[in-house]
Amino acid sequence: MVYLAMLALACTLLLSGLLADWDQGLSNKITIQIMPLGDETSEEIEAHLTETIRILLITPGIAEANSIPITEIAAMLEPWLGAAAHVAELPLPRLIDVTLEENRNIDIEGLSKQLAENVPGITLDDHHFWREQFSKLVRSLEVLAILVVGLVALAAIGVVVFATRGGLAVHRELIEVLHLIGAHDEYVANQFQRHTWHNCLRGSVVAGIFGIATLVGISQLAKELDPTLLPTIEVEIWQWGTLILVPIIASLIAMWTARRTVMRALARMV
Amino acid sequence: MPVKQQTKPNAADGVVRFENVGMRYGTGPEVLRDLSFSLGPASFHFLTGSSGAGKSSLLKLLYLARLPSRGLITLFGRDIATISRRDMPEVRREVGVVFQDFRLLNHLSVFDNVALPLRISGLHEGIIRKHVIELLTWVGLADSLRARPPTLSGGQQQRVAIARAVISRPRLLLADEPTGNVDDVIAMRLLYLFEELNRLGTTVVIATHNDALVSRFGRPRMELEAGMLKFHKANVATPSTIDSVDSTAEAQSTWPPVRSNLTDKLSG
Repeated sequence: MVYLAMLALACTLLLSGLLADWDQGLSNKITIQIMPLGDETSEEIEAHLTETIRILLITPGIAEANSIPITEIAAMLEPWLGAAAHVAELPLPRLIDVTLEENRNIDIEGLSKQLAENVPGITLDDHHFWREQFSKLVRSLEVLAILVVGLVALAAIGVVVFATRGGLAVHRELIEVLHLIGAHDEYVANQFQRHTWHNCLRGSVVAGIFGIATLVGISQLAKELDPTLLPTIEVEIWQWGTLILVPIIASLIAMWTARRTVMRALARMV
Repeated sequence: MPVKQQTKPNAADGVVRFENVGMRYGTGPEVLRDLSFSLGPASFHFLTGSSGAGKSSLLKLLYLARLPSRGLITLFGRDIATISRRDMPEVRREVGVVFQDFRLLNHLSVFDNVALPLRISGLHEGIIRKHVIELLTWVGLADSLRARPPTLSGGQQQRVAIARAVISRPRLLLADEPTGNVDDVIAMRLLYLFEELNRLGTTVVIATHNDALVSRFGRPRMELEAGMLKFHKANVATPSTIDSVDSTAEAQSTWPPVRSNLTDKLSG
């Protein structure tokens, strides 16, 4: 239970972290793409780039505009095309990475129109579409993961209730003796509560260690894979802290449930 | 000749007082009917009756496991119907019970079993240790402090059960068939132990089938028959317990008592 809850929670944390990274990375960025029309020379393309950057830099609200070197574009394409591809001979689009000034709303449409008038084959991408799609996907995954955490918690409560009731049935005699020799309800409940707390904590810690090991394993694996294909899965310190709370919270829930169950059973005795 | 128990003049101070008490389980027939009696401090009674006559039910009323269906029960001068559920444990602590089947906690050591009533009362662990070891030595179980009850003989378990019942110096001691599982020699020793406690001021009620034992001990007898209670005077001509024991003086002696010849009786 604790193991599943931890993994689901880790999922939620990582996804929201990922989304935040993406949003931050893209929200003040636009990418301008100049498609080769097929008949230009490389000098003409360079001229187009220079012209575009000039226009961009005089536009208010734009902090930076850098042409991305062809070698870098080639490197980005390498996983798909292979190292042997003659990148120079391919009609690759040229990209300009534009950074906007913080908190400045610029007229994307106007800029797009102005650029198109001056440079042929130019398109402007403010990542709006992708950002929206991606965040929708991540949000729904997050909701799913939170649902899993909730379900696991409910199932855990159910298990503890039944386990405690079973324990009560087995220890009926013990409870009755304690009751008859003058123990207060709280005393009896405390005994059970402590017992449940110890048991659950022991189990949860083991599950927690497994959970953390699994997460470390996954993030190591992700690091070894090509970083351009997968986003980095890094669990931050505060996230570790949250995850370590899972076994403790689970044990607290178990303890509270045990207490309530015992108190209710005792209330039926004279 | 059965005679009706005379109500003592200071009945209000009595340890137990029943007035027209009736009890039934659920909607079943009354297993106890119109019980009216009182037990004074430091009295000693056997409770007899054929099986199913209601002995255990009467004991359940006495150790507050059950409430009567009707009538008034006063324990230590308090009407139990007016005691709140929160205050019940304090009253229960004044009552020591030796259950027929002992009801020792098998996962606890002999020491912990006997220490339980004191721990429940929240006593300091050092005091608990001192008292429990003294009492267990007194009943001849000093060598079995760490043993678990299932590893002990029936007679030893019985002594553990009795030690647990008396460790907190109850004012009322109830024993249900305490001689049911042991041979006559051990039964006699146990009764000597109860007598010793009685001499210290505890009111004792012992439910038993063993008529031979009852007549040998010469103590008054309460007989349950079809849910009704009759009192019999002691069969043997011994001084009447209720009047002969100066309970107040005895009750103030130290506990556990100094090693008396009881240990010899227990081990002899």
